[in-house]
Amino acid sequence: MKGALAVCLRDIQKFLGQPVLMVSTIVGPFLTLILLGSAFGGAITHAPIAIVQDSYGPYSSDFIGILRNQQTCQFGGINCQNSFQLTNVPDLDTARRMLHEGLVKAIVYVPLGFDDSLAANSKVTVTITLDNTDPLSAAAIGPEVAQAGQQLSSLIQTSSADNSNMTFDLEDAYRDVLYIEFMAPGTFVQAIMFVSIIAGGVQLVVDKERGIIEGYLVTPLKKYEIVLGVLLSGVFKALFSAVTVFILAVTIAGVRPMSIFPNPNVSEIALIFVTLLLTALGLIAMMTAYAVRSTSADLYRVTCFPINLILYYTSGAIYPLNGMPVWMQEVSVINPETYSVEALRLLMYKGANLQAVIGDFTFLGIFTGLMLVLAIVAFRRGI
Amino acid sequence: MAVDHLNLKIGHEVFGLLGPNGAGKTTLQRMLVTVLAPTEGTATVAGADIVHEADKVRERIGVVTQASTLDIELTALQNMNLYGMYYGIPRKERQEKISELLKVVGLADRAKIRVAGYSGGMKRRLEIVRALVSDPQILFLDEPTTGLDPQARAAVLEYVEKIHKEHGITLVITTHYLDEAENLCDRLAIVDRGKIVAEGSPTELKRKISGGDIIEADFSSLPDTALQALQSADFVLSVKKRPGGLTILVKNGAEAVPKVVSLVDSKGGKLRTITLRELTLDDVFLEVTGRSLRE
Repeated sequence: MKGALAVCLRDIQKFLGQPVLMVSTIVGPFLTLILLGSAFGGAITHAPIAIVQDSYGPYSSDFIGILRNQQTCQFGGINCQNSFQLTNVPDLDTARRMLHEGLVKAIVYVPLGFDDSLAANSKVTVTITLDNTDPLSAAAIGPEVAQAGQQLSSLIQTSSADNSNMTFDLEDAYRDVLYIEFMAPGTFVQAIMFVSIIAGGVQLVVDKERGIIEGYLVTPLKKYEIVLGVLLSGVFKALFSAVTVFILAVTIAGVRPMSIFPNPNVSEIALIFVTLLLTALGLIAMMTAYAVRSTSADLYRVTCFPINLILYYTSGAIYPLNGMPVWMQEVSVINPETYSVEALRLLMYKGANLQAVIGDFTFLGIFTGLMLVLAIVAFRRGI
Repeated sequence: MAVDHLNLKIGHEVFGLLGPNGAGKTTLQRMLVTVLAPTEGTATVAGADIVHEADKVRERIGVVTQASTLDIELTALQNMNLYGMYYGIPRKERQEKISELLKVVGLADRAKIRVAGYSGGMKRRLEIVRALVSDPQILFLDEPTTGLDPQARAAVLEYVEKIHKEHGITLVITTHYLDEAENLCDRLAIVDRGKIVAEGSPTELKRKISGGDIIEADFSSLPDTALQALQSADFVLSVKKRPGGLTILVKNGAEAVPKVVSLVDSKGGKLRTITLRELTLDDVFLEVTGRSLRE
């Protein structure tokens, strides 16, 4: 029994002697609480919506006014925010294109004769087209718009017995997308991030600690050749992981990308691959730069955990960004994973073309370029 | 300061840098192989300047560092092949060279086994021949036998000697083993506190100590008068104290032993053992630094 105590004491002493490890056991769970807790279940606010108006008059402008000022409140009435962010769009085609490219989450169509019908106390139907590839946002937007309709009806104070002449036609723009499908793109990015953490730069740190880098340096290999070699192998490994997870998701987990089912579309699949490639190059370069500058492999490993958590949860991988607190949305703007996840969703479930994802590609391209420079500079100085 | 203003010329030979741990041997070697830039001064290695032509130096040398840089997850063949690729050696030439070299150190039949399963001695041998893939003019070996058992050491040294003889490569070896320095090296530099304190062939170095033999005497009791008598005796060149006894440098050992015995006896001292031996490099080291390598 005394032996057990001694072993226990040894472990505790060693644990206390490594403050970084200790802190990480606290930081990890706490970060998860903050990030996951804040990300999940928040009310969707500021949802971008396209308004297409074919009827002009007092009722339609009242209706749009109500939509514009509609508030979504949390915590029993405190913390109220605008539900929608409206964009007036001239015609339905433009609106559909915007929906297709992920610029808006829904289209509200105010049909011809809207004002006349309401004035004549007859029935009218407003069509709401939802981007159901984001099932959580879609589920929130429909009822919110309907609520605005009810408000308008009570404003008109119709004389008829049934208090509303207005009905809503909810229309899904795409086939049903399950939550698991919504979540899948983040998982591929996650696979890339894991490889970046464990097989990218840290290999260098371990090699440096073992003196293997010095073995490289006495050969004619140039430093930039070493770093490029490391990046290339990292990208290869990351793509291998991400593509494997993709295949597993499609074959086992029931993820059914439009770009593959029912008819495979080569250019969309190619664009998915390009997205993964850009993501891999950027994240590998980022983690290599970080690893090379880390003083020890242990410190690197411990700090990678929170970095990964922050990037994953603020990327919109598990919940729409519109439902997250402002600070998380701000992080998401500079988070490369946000753009990967967005591009992948557009390509997988909407059959988007290059034009739709060019914004995401531009961000990822600039990010990757910066990280490559950073990695090479870090390597020159750090090794 | 690990290396402090020293001058050194190494020819086509097996050259040893001998000194205790921390003497600056490894630092000196790391400078010569271009890993560490000198804060001052420079050196020419294989005809190229280590500061301004580091790339050329790297192409012309082979290095075996003290800590192993083998990829133990890979086989011997893979390790060698990659190394050859670092030097841009064409595939066919590389493959021929590798199989020839693996034979030299007796690893040909284990070429396809992961290095993780190798013994310490095998790893060292592999590392040494790996550095030869590029046909270097000079091979630097940093403590090539440290951490090996005597048998493995002997094998490694045997192969190193064979490589020098068969390939005609200049070898620069740092070591703190006396036998290695004495048996393997044509010439030596004794390094202490970042400086070269003596240089020459093992024989030359030993000749620097005037005198011939060493008497090691252990005592049961040694009165001060006896010690003083020994120190002032005309047949004694120097007396150094060590735990348990004295190390006495004399001109002629055979004549001196009975004289020491009778002198100690006459002064009331009591000898336990007395042995006569030839000079070693450690005696040279002790003479020039005042300390022993064995400490």
